[in-house]
Amino acid sequence: MKIDTLFIDKAIPRNFETDYLISRLKTDPQWVEDSKTVYDFINDGDDPVSKAKKTLYITQNRGAVIRECPGTSFYTCCDYTILHTGTFCTMDCSYCILQAYFHPPVLQYFAGLEALAHNLEKTFSQNKIFRIGTGEYTDSLIWEKISPQPKFLVETFARQNNCLLELKTKTVNIESLLPLDHNGKTVIAWSLNTQDIISSEEKGTASLKARLEAARRVESKGYKLAFHFDPLVIYPECEIQYKKVIKQIFEHVRSESIVWISIGTFRFIPKLKQIIEKRFKHSTICYGEFIPGLDNKMRYFKPLRIKLYKEIISCIKEYAPNLAVYFCMEDEEVWEKCMGFFPKKEGELGHLLDKSAAEHCRLNSNFL
Amino acid sequence: MSDLLCEINISDIDLTDKRYKILFSEDDITFLARSIKETGLLTPPVVRPLNNKFIVVSGFNRVRALIYNNRVHNNETKIVVYKTKPDTTDYQCLLKSITALAFKRPLTHSELIVSTRHLSQFLDKKQIAKKSSALFNIELNVRFVENLLAIGALPDPAFDLIHGGNLSFKSAKRISSYGKNTIEIFLIIFSKIKASNNKQLEIILHIMEISARDAIKPEFFFNNQAIQDILFDENKEPGLKTKNLRAWLFEQRFPTIFKARQMVRKKIKSIKVGNNIKFLPPQNFESQNFSISFTAKNYNEFVASVQNLRAALGKKELKEIFNQ
Repeated sequence: MKIDTLFIDKAIPRNFETDYLISRLKTDPQWVEDSKTVYDFINDGDDPVSKAKKTLYITQNRGAVIRECPGTSFYTCCDYTILHTGTFCTMDCSYCILQAYFHPPVLQYFAGLEALAHNLEKTFSQNKIFRIGTGEYTDSLIWEKISPQPKFLVETFARQNNCLLELKTKTVNIESLLPLDHNGKTVIAWSLNTQDIISSEEKGTASLKARLEAARRVESKGYKLAFHFDPLVIYPECEIQYKKVIKQIFEHVRSESIVWISIGTFRFIPKLKQIIEKRFKHSTICYGEFIPGLDNKMRYFKPLRIKLYKEIISCIKEYAPNLAVYFCMEDEEVWEKCMGFFPKKEGELGHLLDKSAAEHCRLNSNFL
Repeated sequence: MSDLLCEINISDIDLTDKRYKILFSEDDITFLARSIKETGLLTPPVVRPLNNKFIVVSGFNRVRALIYNNRVHNNETKIVVYKTKPDTTDYQCLLKSITALAFKRPLTHSELIVSTRHLSQFLDKKQIAKKSSALFNIELNVRFVENLLAIGALPDPAFDLIHGGNLSFKSAKRISSYGKNTIEIFLIIFSKIKASNNKQLEIILHIMEISARDAIKPEFFFNNQAIQDILFDENKEPGLKTKNLRAWLFEQRFPTIFKARQMVRKKIKSIKVGNNIKFLPPQNFESQNFSISFTAKNYNEFVASVQNLRAALGKKELKEIFNQ
């Protein structure tokens, strides 16, 4: 999606990074004193979400740069760490929680490579493994063509040995990453879905084929990979389609290159439904058999989740028996019935993933 | 500019012209007629001269009561009315009609809907909201006026359903956003059943979501034989039709959940723990916590319930419930 309005926070210094962004955006910037102008601009329309996707605000992160993933009550979290580099996304997935999460959603790019470096140095100096990702509040690679930030992050992470950087995306924006010396510390991860769901629900994203081709290319440059089946959407014959996707993964890349695969079925806060119905009139994604979960998010009826998970896990295990597969936000019953075990202790799932990170990315295993 | 108080022949009033009528019900005017007979007409109706006749602006029931007295007692041939001046506009007549009722008692939703629908010929939604306190004796915001106008665009049967309590304001608002054919099926449905607001909304939601999920038009879904059998069964009460319709729609909307609930219910029943023991599965089967409870007035009751539970331990259905 093309950016047609560019706001820049007057408080950020004019430097290499901002000049780089401005030169590539080809949109006249409007320098603003504060974010109110941006919020007012976005809110002045029938569909602020769509407007926000075309309005970029380059500013600085005034909150925590590095933070723990908030997770959710009653379901097991993977203890992920978020590197907060921006918010919202230019792509337009119907199910995207960011539409309802921010009020209003603002497409922010947080400039300030020094601030990132400063915060990361503190994390790099700890005697602990961290799995750090930028893809929680935005897509990790949407700005790859216009920003020096992805390159900066890959090279910064390459110089340490206790942190893994996960760049999670639905794009195929990888060109600038290919020649970099990443030292194995960056994992490039793709959110995957069936082509049916990509076509119907993931507007503006790369096709499944393109994502897997991109995965093959970065793998050829020594990058480690991850895949996220989240959200899995239940629809007639979806099991067959998801199995086809799994088959395609292993046709494109080696299982040894994959650090982990996460799976999670579609879940949503109730107010997202109204947004989807308003913005995506043809989407039927909310009309599955959903019940209110223990965390008040709507979730597929548990037996349906378990049925799909079992099929997907057994399929993955056929291709890669030792690959780390984990659930994003599931409970003990689901773990036990689908995986045969439950990481009950606090931090246990995180530890399992840290181990996989350490093995694949040559992190210091003494910190495990 | 006040109206002219005068006496006219009752027979000169054209009651069929209801352009200013906002009162929804055709109330029984017997008592009013008796009251007028006993104490006289306290507040004369307002009428407007039109084509050698008079049409009622305000006071339909009073005019009807006088006509009734005329018929019964054959002695009320004249009526005292306020006659509007020749230069009184349509808009001014409408205002008189609305304010006469609104400042006597709060308008019902149906009356507000009809009033705003009439007013929208002269005012936009913002103007109606701005003047609402003077017109309706209550302040309305633009959003609410917008809702009134949306509902006002529904076909006429909708107002009878709203007035009769068969269609809630929220449900009317919801269906007002749908296409003509879809609106029609909901008007049929709500004319056949009697449901609370929440149940109406649930019925609308389930029909729309099933239709969207199955990629069929709601009006085609409505033609399903099961729905027709429920709605058009003359032997069933509206309340029972509502219950049956909701149950059937739930089964269609959530087939797996429905089956799971049925299965567990059947198994709990087959364990026969006794009526005194409540055995509830986890809500929506999301948590793993079953609830088993009983009350005991005395030791014997307590022992009886414990023995019933102990007897259930040997039943395979009990294990199946927990291990499914």
